[in-house]
Amino acid sequence: MAELLLELGIAVAAIAVAGAVAGRLGLSVIPAYIVAGVLLGPAQPLARFGVPLPVVAYGEVVQLLAELGIVFLLFFLGLEFSVDQLLRDRRKITTVGLIDFAVNFGIGAAIGLAFGWTLLETVFLAGLVYISSSAIVTKSLIETGWIANDESGPILGTLVFEDILIAVYLALLAAVANGGSLREAGVSVGVAFLFLGGLTVAAWYGSGWFERLFTTSSDELFVLRVVGLTTLVAGAALALGVSEAVAAFFLGTGLSQTSHVERIEHLVSPARDLFAAVFFFAIGLSTDVTLLAGVAGLLAVAVVATTLGKLVSGTLSGRVYGLDRRRSLRVGLGLVPRGEFSLVIVALATGVGTGRLGSVLPAFAVGYVLVMSVVGSLLVGRADSITDAVAAVRG
Amino acid sequence: MTVYETDVPGVGKKFEVEIGGGERLVLLLHHDGKREVFYKPDSESDAERLFTLNGQLAREVGAILQGAYFQPVETDEVEVPLGEAIIEWLDVSEGSPLVDQTLAEAGVRKQTGASIIAIQRGSDTVPNPGPEETIGAGDILVTLGTRDEQSAVESLVTPDDG
Repeated sequence: MAELLLELGIAVAAIAVAGAVAGRLGLSVIPAYIVAGVLLGPAQPLARFGVPLPVVAYGEVVQLLAELGIVFLLFFLGLEFSVDQLLRDRRKITTVGLIDFAVNFGIGAAIGLAFGWTLLETVFLAGLVYISSSAIVTKSLIETGWIANDESGPILGTLVFEDILIAVYLALLAAVANGGSLREAGVSVGVAFLFLGGLTVAAWYGSGWFERLFTTSSDELFVLRVVGLTTLVAGAALALGVSEAVAAFFLGTGLSQTSHVERIEHLVSPARDLFAAVFFFAIGLSTDVTLLAGVAGLLAVAVVATTLGKLVSGTLSGRVYGLDRRRSLRVGLGLVPRGEFSLVIVALATGVGTGRLGSVLPAFAVGYVLVMSVVGSLLVGRADSITDAVAAVRG
Repeated sequence: MTVYETDVPGVGKKFEVEIGGGERLVLLLHHDGKREVFYKPDSESDAERLFTLNGQLAREVGAILQGAYFQPVETDEVEVPLGEAIIEWLDVSEGSPLVDQTLAEAGVRKQTGASIIAIQRGSDTVPNPGPEETIGAGDILVTLGTRDEQSAVESLVTPDDG
């Protein structure tokens, strides 16, 4: 027990230090947590330079907390998912969402096939490079003040569409990845849709029940009920071979119809932040960075192509919302960062573990998210000079 | 006035308020209670962040803007031009022992130290009433005195059985 406790202490302390450094540098915390994980991981990258760091094993405790990180990231995504907004703006949101998906998922698929990956590996890769980071994107929207400008419309609209798409994508992929033969895959897709369908119906029509279940004046009892129910549903889903993340997402959307949203945001998001931080750290821990050299070519191609992809799809999306050239380009710049959801996808891939999914893809994902989260922040920070430069080129 | 409301996932809600002449205020309400206020001079310009408030401050500022806000001033800090004395208004109810007495008979100043500087009777005001003035039920006595003197007057005016 002493060993485990000490190890967890080292892990969380390292995460805290990494977060402080990221804050000082004005960068997103996500890449910082990953780097902390890589540095303290079993591969001991700094040991050969004579820097002795304590080693944190990728053990069961870290894995469990990381799993809770995935569950609560998706739970909050569902909780914050605005069905009203989707319905109000459905034509525009669907249009920009489809543009975003076609361009960026398409680029990912093309890269996978060009590098000779199998179909399943390519679908994982395409999803990973497609999805923007809600956390990093919204944070930079607020920091730049773009949140108050018209470009926030298509950016938030795209994120809403990506949220649903990632839920469907994860549900399908988790089911397909579990089954071996086509028939097994079909059965597990069926189970997934039955479970998630049941959950959705329960979430939508049972909001009165949720309302009563969570009505308590005690904050302590409230947190216990939310965390208890979410973990229970996620665990049941996983036991049935259904994506636990998607189950949590649907539970979150069910709760978003109740009056408890603000209280959950207030009381449970600290738990989400802690678990999610361990998740990013664990991704770093589980990554064999020596594999990064092998994927350098792929990484370079993907970074350039998918950055341009978001710029193109974002600019088109801005046009759909009737924005001028400068603001449309900002939509593209704003959506460049990739982060937590790419890592959720790769966590699923690691679980499958066959072929490139177990080794190459995780190493690629870590490199990719590190680069894209930083590149994204830099692009947003220099948006004005970039838009001026583009305007100058166009004359 | 038109208000546009938008959900900002993971952050909270955004409200855009048209304030005339194409100008807009953009209010961002975070789930943690923080409020950010942006100003847009016209629809073409970038928004400018005016200020950020925490939840408590935002509610107070909001109430001031609404005109509903009143912060009772600490009396200790107020400079009263009358020195220690304050002016109070006292209702004379029907059962008050002072009803039908003249001011001379009531002897308010002798007993309490406070002076009756006016009597309000319906819409009339009797300023600086003389000793022969009779107190009636329903009168309002305007008295000048220190806090202690005022409370003495109050107990004098209040019906005994009350």
